[in-house]
Amino acid sequence: MSAAAPAHVLVVEDDANLAAGVMENLRAEGYEVSLAGDGEQALTWLAAHGCALVVLDVMLPGADGLTVCRTLRARGNTTPVLFLTARGDPADRVRGLEAGGDDYLAKPFHLQEFLLRVRAILRRWDWYRSASATADTAVLRFGGNEVDFRVFRARAWTGETQELTEKEAMILKVLAEHTGQIVSREDLLERVWGYDVFPSTRTVDNFILRLRKRFEKDPANPRHFLTVWGVGYRFMTEAEP
Amino acid sequence: MKAARVFQLTALALVVVSAVQVGWWLYDQHAYTVEKVQAARVAYAEQTAAAQALLDSGASPERVRQLLPGIVIEGGRATLAPELARALTTEEERRYRQYAWEGSFFLLALAACIAVIGRALREEAHVREQQDSFLAMVSHQFKTPLASLQLSLETLALRTPSPQAARPLIDRMLADVARMEQMVTQILESARLERGRVELKYEPLQLAAAVGRVVGQLEERARHEHISISSDIAPALTVVSDPLALDVVVRNVLENALAAVKSAGGGHIALSAHATDHEVELVVRDSGVGFAPGEATRLFQKFTRLRSGAGYFGTGLGLYIVRRLMELAHGRVSAHSDGVGQGASVRLTWPAAPAGAARQPAAEQEMRS
Repeated sequence: MSAAAPAHVLVVEDDANLAAGVMENLRAEGYEVSLAGDGEQALTWLAAHGCALVVLDVMLPGADGLTVCRTLRARGNTTPVLFLTARGDPADRVRGLEAGGDDYLAKPFHLQEFLLRVRAILRRWDWYRSASATADTAVLRFGGNEVDFRVFRARAWTGETQELTEKEAMILKVLAEHTGQIVSREDLLERVWGYDVFPSTRTVDNFILRLRKRFEKDPANPRHFLTVWGVGYRFMTEAEP
Repeated sequence: MKAARVFQLTALALVVVSAVQVGWWLYDQHAYTVEKVQAARVAYAEQTAAAQALLDSGASPERVRQLLPGIVIEGGRATLAPELARALTTEEERRYRQYAWEGSFFLLALAACIAVIGRALREEAHVREQQDSFLAMVSHQFKTPLASLQLSLETLALRTPSPQAARPLIDRMLADVARMEQMVTQILESARLERGRVELKYEPLQLAAAVGRVVGQLEERARHEHISISSDIAPALTVVSDPLALDVVVRNVLENALAAVKSAGGGHIALSAHATDHEVELVVRDSGVGFAPGEATRLFQKFTRLRSGAGYFGTGLGLYIVRRLMELAHGRVSAHSDGVGQGASVRLTWPAAPAGAARQPAAEQEMRS
């Protein structure tokens, strides 16, 4: 959260009482808050306004939360999403995160945990934005690829334009900040997703595979995204011989 | 449940094995008959050929008849005696008929068993599926007010607001508890209705009095939510229903109207009633959020919730219970709205009580006996 303006949070919740409780608490924490009662309202609002975070109920009348999140991502909107849902089993969590959500909280939830997660998501995004603010840090060039962190877009060595998901961009950012150094899977999880969101560090591996496919000349023999067995990954801007 | 299922599956397996056995027995019988008949034909053909050979070698027909009694000789040609050929055909047909009848009888009986067991299994699976989706739905329904309640309590604990600031929190908590209480009641009621465990009494009841009681209980809440309720029901109007069912029906319809009007930010609910030839009709009109006209019948199905500006309301069971109770009371219920934001009306129709059947304890006793 930048010190100047309070972060704006959009709450999408169809239950009036729960919405009131969530909004009051977010306001008490100094956030600016707006409310959408259903999925369509949320999408309409988000088409016209920007915000720092969407707190999104999964079971909504009309378009459900997962659909809203997918639609948002398909539109190229990278606003972080925190799902709230009555269904909290691991399969539902994974579905939420696959839809492009940043975090997932099962109802009924603890107020402190909710506020903590909101803060954590905003902090991660704050870091990402400030780490991509200068002309030096906004663009990453390696092996004929050019990644613009501000617009989540890259031009690959093939000349093809690639739209990055926010997670891909964040992973790339963390790796780029530590060029030449080993970054563990746990560090990547912590920096990009926060704590205890994913059941395993395998997820990180999948994202690295995706990055290799996008940017490596031969994804099977990576030159930039190197695996350090048993530890994590090392990113090199210059191709390893 | 589980033991019954194991029993059914075992029975099904046994019946299927029996059917296969009957099939095998049929096949075996058929093969046996074919083999026997074929052997007899070959033997007869050999005898005929032998008789012909004897005749051709100069033996006298009498001698040949003596040696081979089943052969008929006419004009120097040996043929099989017609009664033997007939007997063989008759025996063949008798055997076919016998196992065709026995076999098909057993197969039919076994097929009936398979159908009965299969049907029971399918029905059970359907019930289980319904129970699962019911449980999923119910637990989701409970989690929302529970989450809201927990959030309010934790807000009180975390922020220790002034009594004045705490008031809306407490109101929300009371509303959440009331919501959960209503859900429990409705779930129990709908479960009872589903199992058919309701024994309704049919007695003449004064509609105005029954409605008045429910309105009286909801009036304060309505005032609090800026909703006015007006009622215009002639005291003479009498319907035939169960007193408890009438109370539940009127309460659920009114609760629904209150929620719809509350979502619209306040308004009016008007109750009116009139009698036709054999029926009494109660109309509950509200200035609430209304619904799309196409949704009118869906409203009375289980777990259908109205959509409104502030979101869904209700458990999705209230109007379902109303429909079931009205059906049991030989009445009808329908809903109408010109569209979202246009208000709505619910029409309840009961059979009218015969003239003069005023609600008196004595009359009630008579009716019941």
